[in-house]
Amino acid sequence: MGSLGIRRWSLSFGVAAILWEAVALWLDNKLFLVRLGAIGQRFVELIQSGELMADMRVSFIEFAGGFGLAILVGISAGVVMAAFKGLRDLVDPWVSMLYATPTIALGPLFMLAFGIGYASKIALVFLTCVFPILINTLAGLKTTDRTLLEVVRSYGATPRQIYFKVRIPAALPFIIAGLRVSVARALVGVVVAELFGARAGLGFLIFRSAQSFDTAGLFVAVFILAVCGVACVEFLKWIEIRLAPWRFNNMDEE
Amino acid sequence: MSAPKLSTRDLCKSFEKDGASIEVLRGLNIDIARGEFVSIVGASGCGKTTFLRLVNGLIRPSSGSAFIDGRAVTTPGGEIAFVFQQDGLLPWRTVLDNTIIGPELQGKNMGKARDLASSYLALVGLRGFEKHYPHELSGGMRQRVNMARALTAGADVLLMDEPFAALDAQTREIMQTELTRIWSETGKTVLFVTHQIDEAVFLSDRVLVFTVRPGRLKEEVAIDLPRPRDLALKRRPEFGAHVDRIWRLIEEEVRDSIRRETEEALAAAQR
Ligand SMILES: Nc1ncnc2c1ncn2[C@@H]1O[C@H](COP(=O)(O)OP(=O)(O)O)[C@@H](O)[C@H]1O
Ligand SMILES: [Mg+2]
Repeated sequence: MGSLGIRRWSLSFGVAAILWEAVALWLDNKLFLVRLGAIGQRFVELIQSGELMADMRVSFIEFAGGFGLAILVGISAGVVMAAFKGLRDLVDPWVSMLYATPTIALGPLFMLAFGIGYASKIALVFLTCVFPILINTLAGLKTTDRTLLEVVRSYGATPRQIYFKVRIPAALPFIIAGLRVSVARALVGVVVAELFGARAGLGFLIFRSAQSFDTAGLFVAVFILAVCGVACVEFLKWIEIRLAPWRFNNMDEE
Repeated sequence: MSAPKLSTRDLCKSFEKDGASIEVLRGLNIDIARGEFVSIVGASGCGKTTFLRLVNGLIRPSSGSAFIDGRAVTTPGGEIAFVFQQDGLLPWRTVLDNTIIGPELQGKNMGKARDLASSYLALVGLRGFEKHYPHELSGGMRQRVNMARALTAGADVLLMDEPFAALDAQTREIMQTELTRIWSETGKTVLFVTHQIDEAVFLSDRVLVFTVRPGRLKEEVAIDLPRPRDLALKRRPEFGAHVDRIWRLIEEEVRDSIRRETEEALAAAQR
């Protein structure tokens, strides 16, 4: 992001903050929309009491566990499915079906099965984000440019070399794009999983705050989640551009 | 002619497609001497690319064989390098890393390969571009890398499939003179496919004219123009005479091919 990008971002945030304050003053309803200052104050309180750090720690473990597992399983399953056509034909309908299903609805079931600790949350986060990773890995491995394959074959590449020197590097940008899609789904998974029952976490902070009419506390959690989401997506975008600059070469910013 | 570097005997190829068999090449007998530059011209779809892929070992013939130094070709790699129409450079690799892919895949000494690649990159006029990525280069530069890659593979025989077709007219002419220079400096045996008759005449010792599908050898034309050749040659009457002669040989074939391609497209659309 250049200095132009930073200027544009600060401008757009500045305008949003002014609008927020104006609406909050006009509504004058502390249950619905509180002033930004109150949110900041609540943020400091939550930090000082140690509550926020504890909530963030729990949510982070759930996120990292579920997302990490989804990366591992999604990529490996994609690689295996790309290599074995029989298996692919067998599993493909299920993958497409589960990808389209809002698996998050299985949350309550997971609580019953795995309890309200980490296991149920990690399982739900995993399930919400494994399919985009798998599908993109598979697509990336299956859509390798035929010219590239023929070129390396003409220079005597073995099937193994074709896989490691062409198919996998060609699939990498697709895989990163899959991660970018899933990272947002993973954050939703964390919050929703905690709403179904938890002892701590940012989602649970939202739940707790709502129960006690603490709107400022609720927004603290929402803002932290938003910042994390944007940071993850921007980071993955940055990696994508570093890994595959040629795919962005002909694109115009406008 | 002494023992040919590259030869084919009764080379035939048919493809199975939708249950039907398409005969693409029929009974080709061709001999190419060591260090010779031979071009193939023929109507589109007559099997030129298929012929190169057979000679390279990328696909197997239906019958007959291709030979290098008297040994039948079975698998790609080694003694033959293929310069494709699309440059086929790996976009995530630098120019240098693309150029050394042949030795790398064949498990050769990489230090030597890098030196060799650098010298061939210099030969094709790309000194200083080793660390660039393909997307940073123009089409003509990418085709030069494509050529350097084939040379670095250490093959004696270069198969080139319309390597300049995607380039603009001026770049193409420059590349033609560059190729004759590189060919005379390296002494490679070149089999060059093109649809541009003047390109074939300018580059070659001999031009093979293929018939329409199934491709057969219709005629071979020796190009007895003196070397070294430069672009001024293209304006001389004896050059024009060769071009005219070859054009007359394939004009009827090209008309047939256009008619058939139209009919096939219509038939496919009606299905
Ligand atoms: N793998 C393939 N399967 C089926 N048909 C093919 C295949 N490769 C080429 N052909 C057919 O063989 C004919 C010759 O193709 P090609 O060698 O590419 O011609 P050229 O290079 O002379 O234009 C075409 O009709 C093409 O459709
Ligand atoms: Mg062709």
